[in-house]
Amino acid sequence: MSRKMNNREENHRDPEAIPEKPLHSGQNKEPGMTLIVKTITRLTVGLILLYGIYIVLHGHISPGGGFAGGVIIALSFIHLMLAFGKEVALKKLSEAAASILESLGAIMFLSVALLGFLGGYLFFNFFLHKGKPFQLFSAGIIPLCNIAISLKVGAGLFAIFAALVLFKSGEEEK
Amino acid sequence: MSEYILCLFLFCIGLYCILRKRNLIKIIIGLGIMEYAVNLFFILLGYRSHGRAPILSGSQEILNMVDPLPQALVLTTIVIGLALMAVVVSLAVRIYEKYGTFDITKIRRLRG
Repeated sequence: MSRKMNNREENHRDPEAIPEKPLHSGQNKEPGMTLIVKTITRLTVGLILLYGIYIVLHGHISPGGGFAGGVIIALSFIHLMLAFGKEVALKKLSEAAASILESLGAIMFLSVALLGFLGGYLFFNFFLHKGKPFQLFSAGIIPLCNIAISLKVGAGLFAIFAALVLFKSGEEEK
Repeated sequence: MSEYILCLFLFCIGLYCILRKRNLIKIIIGLGIMEYAVNLFFILLGYRSHGRAPILSGSQEILNMVDPLPQALVLTTIVIGLALMAVVVSLAVRIYEKYGTFDITKIRRLRG
């Protein structure tokens, strides 16, 4: 019964992805974990992603920052992959997209650093209105650097996990 | 003083796990425990009694703060530990596919 409910759920989520493999072997009944884990994951994964974004954006006025927020963002996608199987998570954020985001983070950090040559320094704070201290919109280029670091770390960590998963299943097909 | 001895105890648990266990996954867990014992030791070295986190805040004056240098060092250590763990786990996956076991006494083809 639980399998039937699961199939209906996934059918509801994406109508073209009805599992057509006829459940040939007993070990591969359905991708992912049980119904309880899937329901809890569906409720919490958005909150985890939002908390990661909050940690990144408040990195210059509270503990946290680019690395910690990026790890939390990556963990939300890894959570999705653990609960639903690799197809669902890779449909949300494919491996090529993760690679592109990772490279984008590195290029963004480098360009923020190199834009400082406009003022004659490296990492020059090129915003004229720096805002009041301890407000959200303050501290010049540090939030931009935090966003770049979080893109790099989050996409990189997800790519490592996806590479481990895909590497194993790719070897099994040989 | 006793907290440093507890750190050493945690390190010795990880070392025992590496030297004595035969499952490859348990050896990797022992590596992680040793790493975290060292991290905890560094953080405890930088602690001062009744110190606060070294972060400026707008409303209040901070008089006594802990040493921020070991915390920056430990952040770097955590990143390196993450990369190390990914490499070791991928090696373990590879070994399991080649030999079909995690037991290090049954992986015999490496013998000369």
